[in-house]
Amino acid sequence: MTQAIGQFKHSEPLTLGVELELQLVSRRDFNLVRGATDLIDSLDYDGRYGEIKLEITESMIEVSTQPQATVDGIAADLAGLRDTLRQHAERNNIGICGGGTHPFHHWPERRICPGDRFEALYQRYGYLAKQFTVFGQHIHVGVTSADDAIWLTQALGVYVPAFIALSAASPFVDGVDSFFQSARLNAVSAFPLSGQCPPLADWAAFIEHFSFLQACGIASSIKDLYWDVRPKPEFGTVEIRVCDTPLAIEQAASLAALAQSLSRWLLRTRPELQAAKQVYVARANKFQACRYGMDALLADPAGPRQVPLRQSLLDLLDALDEDARQLGCEHWLNALRPIVSDEAGDAAWLRARQRQHNNLNDVVRDACERLMPRSPEKAWEKIR
Amino acid sequence: MLEALRAPWEALLERLIFLPPFPEQLDSLALFSLLLVVGLLLGEWLHARAGWPKVVGYVLAGTLFGPALLGWISFEALAQARPLADAALGLLMMEVGRRLDLGWLFRNRELLRSTLSDIGLSFALIFAFAFWLIDMSPGWAAATAAVTMASAPSVVLLAIEDSKAQGLVSDRIMLHTALSSAASFVAFTLVLGIVHAEHSTDWLNAAAHPLWVAGGGLLIGWLGARTAIVIARRLPKGSLAQVFVLVASALLAVGLARMLAVPVFLGLFLMGLLLAAGDRQQVLRYTSLPEGHWLLAIILFVIVGASLPWPEFTWLTGLQALGLLIVRAAAKSAALAWSGGSLPLPKRLLVGLGIQPLSATAVFMAYEILALYPEIGRSALALPLFAAAIMELAGPALCQMALRRSGECETAKPRAGGIA
Repeated sequence: MTQAIGQFKHSEPLTLGVELELQLVSRRDFNLVRGATDLIDSLDYDGRYGEIKLEITESMIEVSTQPQATVDGIAADLAGLRDTLRQHAERNNIGICGGGTHPFHHWPERRICPGDRFEALYQRYGYLAKQFTVFGQHIHVGVTSADDAIWLTQALGVYVPAFIALSAASPFVDGVDSFFQSARLNAVSAFPLSGQCPPLADWAAFIEHFSFLQACGIASSIKDLYWDVRPKPEFGTVEIRVCDTPLAIEQAASLAALAQSLSRWLLRTRPELQAAKQVYVARANKFQACRYGMDALLADPAGPRQVPLRQSLLDLLDALDEDARQLGCEHWLNALRPIVSDEAGDAAWLRARQRQHNNLNDVVRDACERLMPRSPEKAWEKIR
Repeated sequence: MLEALRAPWEALLERLIFLPPFPEQLDSLALFSLLLVVGLLLGEWLHARAGWPKVVGYVLAGTLFGPALLGWISFEALAQARPLADAALGLLMMEVGRRLDLGWLFRNRELLRSTLSDIGLSFALIFAFAFWLIDMSPGWAAATAAVTMASAPSVVLLAIEDSKAQGLVSDRIMLHTALSSAASFVAFTLVLGIVHAEHSTDWLNAAAHPLWVAGGGLLIGWLGARTAIVIARRLPKGSLAQVFVLVASALLAVGLARMLAVPVFLGLFLMGLLLAAGDRQQVLRYTSLPEGHWLLAIILFVIVGASLPWPEFTWLTGLQALGLLIVRAAAKSAALAWSGGSLPLPKRLLVGLGIQPLSATAVFMAYEILALYPEIGRSALALPLFAAAIMELAGPALCQMALRRSGECETAKPRAGGIA
């Protein structure tokens, strides 16, 4: 059943929304547990901080904030959602943590959530749907026009490696160190419509491209496009989809600050895009960021040349300083600097915990504590 | 056929000095191994053909080949196999104790209320039934209540593992089972004193026996748990060596309990509980029993099936046992329906259904009390033993039904419903 793309909804410029996919784990052994439907059924929550909903398998749950003008608003919603979840998860004896992959779960044990859309996905993608039990952060940035949305989608595409490296929190898969900083995106890459948005001039070109995909029977709705960055017409936003779910909500807010500041800077300065050339390097750059994180060497098609991601990110953070100040989110943005300069990212944290415990169950236990510290003294900054 | 072999064997015996005397009967270990295979096959066959829980097949095999029917398992063989049954029950009880998450009760106070309701109502109604309707003495009525008030930890554990069930109903069935078992062990310990007081003029036994059982159980449990943790701390977490240490420590505790006449189920349950509570560095938290440990259940349930006192069955006792089970079911369902509001009522009722099994622990508890005063106890404890016998067959099916209806089994279809 194909769905036409509706009108691009107007939204206030640079407003934000954040979605986090979270892991539901057993408090006994910290393996993934089937508990999403039970948790949702037992919720007594008025929706004031946003939505809490099912995801593809019973071991995942998705939270999404209300649209917010500021990163502070996003952080407050995320804190509210986290505390609501904590209260209900504790009553149901379920643990919750962040991170892009569960370090040691066995994917055949996953169960698809009830619902027509999930069942259709399972029928369509088979075992890939169960292997899609990976956990990401999606960031929506509000734009005022459909054409701006297409332009920003392509402009942000250049910075996909930066978002991947900053959020990387999935070094372990199937109980082993994958050597990747973000192994999660390998699960996403298996889907036929994953990857980068093709070079498109404007909204009309996007509609034409999507109609072509529909006519070929490749996509039926915009939800079938698993692009790294994609327009979301029903929200009036551009959605960045490449981030791993961080281990703490503060990190999620910092990534939202990067998305907001970067979008403002891009829309303000309108740099010339190399969309056609970017297509040739996008996959390689994404691999570099997933595999090496901050040590990635990126291809710059404008040069052409190779640039170290770490240095280009430090330059970018300097460049965004003024925009962040204007948006009132510079404190959130600056919190990303240690990840770039001091290897203080989530993947490194998870590996350090593994070295300490020599046991992945305990790594997940610590990750639960980091997402939902029991006391302020154990807040994420101190754990880090 | 054996007789035909006797003459040539004895002829050879004169010339071959290494030959043993002609074996008059099958070695009990060999016989038992054969019965275990038969039990396994029967369980698998019933499971595959009729969808019955495998446990039922094991019990039926024990009943069929036990002293009550075919007599292939003699009383002597049963006595010889008792250490194996103790080891099997001990390991399963330790696992149940390890899974008891007392912290959950503090995080969800409604659970505390529902489990106290289950424990209190089950004991009170069964006691009232035995005391007023069956006209038992207070001591034996209390013994009947103590033996039958709890669900069957080994049956529930195996049903959950067998169906790979996960979810709130499964978790609560396990929690209620473990907690009601703990309560029944406390009641059992106190009942020992009451039974002594009723039948002996010597008050020393009435006071000392409960203390011996409780103190001995705690000491053995603590010793087993400490031994396991202290040794396992030096080994890699989750390693095969840790599994070995865990099993060896449990078997040590089983042996000590047998030596000191402390009920194995109590000592090992406490060991599991202390392992879970005292393992602050998660030394053994993620170390599971070896793959296929459920095979132990075959040993346990074949022996339990063979131990059931079917020759003493009378229709009156059978009817009384049915009455007891109805009262017990009503108590458990009412307790769950009344409390535990954080779970919807239909699911609470499924929890009530899932905790109906009554099995090995009850049988072993009954025999512990019976051993004190065999003459009186045999008739007095016929009621709980027959109730257990009936539930050996019905209990696993009820638990399995609850798990399937909850939609939490791995093979079950997910419940229909919209997406939030």
